Amino acid sequence: MSDDTIQILAKHISEKILKKPNRVIAPDAAIISSGLIDSFHLVDLAVFIEEKFNVRIDDSELTADTFDTLTQLAELIKERSH
Amino acid sequence: MTLTTLALFTAAALLAGLWPAARGRRWFILAVSVLAVYALQPASAVRELDYWLPTASLALCALGWAVTRPASAALTREDGLAGLLAGGLALGVSALRYVGPSFYLTPTQPPALELAAVAVLAAAALGFGLTRAAGINKAMLWGLLVLILGLFIVLKTDILTQGVAALLRSLTGQAPNLARAADLRWLGFSYMAFRILATIRERQNGRLPAFSLGEYFTYVLFFPAFLSGPIDRPERFLKDAHAAPAPFADSLMEGGRRLALGLFKKFVLADTLALAALNETNALQVNGAGWMWLILYLYAFRIYFDFSGYTDLAIGLGRLMGFKLPENFNNPYLKPSLTLFWNSWHITLAQWIRSYVFNPFSRAMRSREKPMAAWLVILLGQIMVMGLIGLWHGITWNFLIWGLWHALGLFINSRWTEFWRERWDESSQPAWLQKGLTALSTFATFNYVALGWVWFALPEPGQSLRVLACLFGVNV
Repeated sequence: MSDDTIQILAKHISEKILKKPNRVIAPDAAIISSGLIDSFHLVDLAVFIEEKFNVRIDDSELTADTFDTLTQLAELIKERSH
Repeated sequence: MTLTTLALFTAAALLAGLWPAARGRRWFILAVSVLAVYALQPASAVRELDYWLPTASLALCALGWAVTRPASAALTREDGLAGLLAGGLALGVSALRYVGPSFYLTPTQPPALELAAVAVLAAAALGFGLTRAAGINKAMLWGLLVLILGLFIVLKTDILTQGVAALLRSLTGQAPNLARAADLRWLGFSYMAFRILATIRERQNGRLPAFSLGEYFTYVLFFPAFLSGPIDRPERFLKDAHAAPAPFADSLMEGGRRLALGLFKKFVLADTLALAALNETNALQVNGAGWMWLILYLYAFRIYFDFSGYTDLAIGLGRLMGFKLPENFNNPYLKPSLTLFWNSWHITLAQWIRSYVFNPFSRAMRSREKPMAAWLVILLGQIMVMGLIGLWHGITWNFLIWGLWHALGLFINSRWTEFWRERWDESSQPAWLQKGLTALSTFATFNYVALGWVWFALPEPGQSLRVLACLFGVNV
């Protein structure tokens, strides 16, 4: 489940946010603190997650403190989808 | 913060860190935080106001707690004790009136004890009443939110502050026509307000963890962070409050290192740079572009060392007591874009505004059936966020322009990145080119930020324009 989630998230980020379909995002690479995803795209990512996984990530949780890598994000989605 | 205050705070933090029992330590930190609110408040020309403003801070905290607590939670003995402690200390500070001027904790004579008692009892009764009604009435959360924002606007707008000061003067029998905005300097309000607002918003989202009254007071008034942040998140702060503290030797090393760094940055670097950094007076005296750039750069470093030095002091004091306050700066002047600059300058304020203003706005606009175009969301969002960050410093034209300067920069930054994303792959370029471009971007970002400081440092936008013209060799 987690691996699939990571795949889906990585694909969404590289295609829709970074507009570079070939870009590989390592599951443990920092995506927020590194500035790879800015604050606007972070909200877009949260909207995508809500639609795709039916998991809500609150506005005040969109920080590197809550999650900074795809692995952590996938964990969060897994925790909340139960 | 003076060196004496810092020495006292350090002594208190060391004592707290060494306190053998966690429970006693918590009460001690609460007591010091409450007393610090009175001790830090500067003198006011309005009689006894330097007692009433800190007392109002305590009352606002109590109200914040009362309306944000879960409706189902019962009042505990701990809550009662915390209320008694805070109220008792407020009365104690007033009672010093009878001991003698050299014992006043407030800068001027505190009011008579019976007057203080009426106020403390009224606040306690209101707080207690609200705990009965909280949860039934969501309007109360909104009510407090509007009250705090209203106070914020009054305190940050000179003309309104002056009006309120005149009103207060007429109540104390002083001449209202002598009222000045400076009469109503409510120390710590900006930070306190943002912490209370955070608890209100988290409560409205159903994400606020359960705070006891003592924990709520400590969160909002935590003495290391009371004066200039950082603005911790409620959930994170509570986690530290409950955690077993690290071994004292570790806290001492870590805390001591941060304190030493903060002292050096604030009292050596920032205070020395302040002697020649851009200000209203030397802006008039300097004419050459080169000299103007120099004093502008000095200002850029002064403000950074001053504020980040303060943050180091706060983090160091917190660390001595086992609290890991969030970082507020992360080498902001070494960032290759304005977006990254704002991820590393006054991080906790920027994060607060993102959490409670930008994110809800963007989410609403992007979740609509017909989502608003990305560029428009970014433009409006940045204007809102940076405008608010500017006005947070004071409701004046110069701070607003400074905020909008950054909003414009961030918007251009975002569009520029978006434009090149599909056309240019930096990772496939040779290393020397990547490094060169990063250095160039860092230089450009620093200078954009430095030019922004011209608006921030000088209260008159007209003077800022003259300085900007001078920087580019135009003397007007």
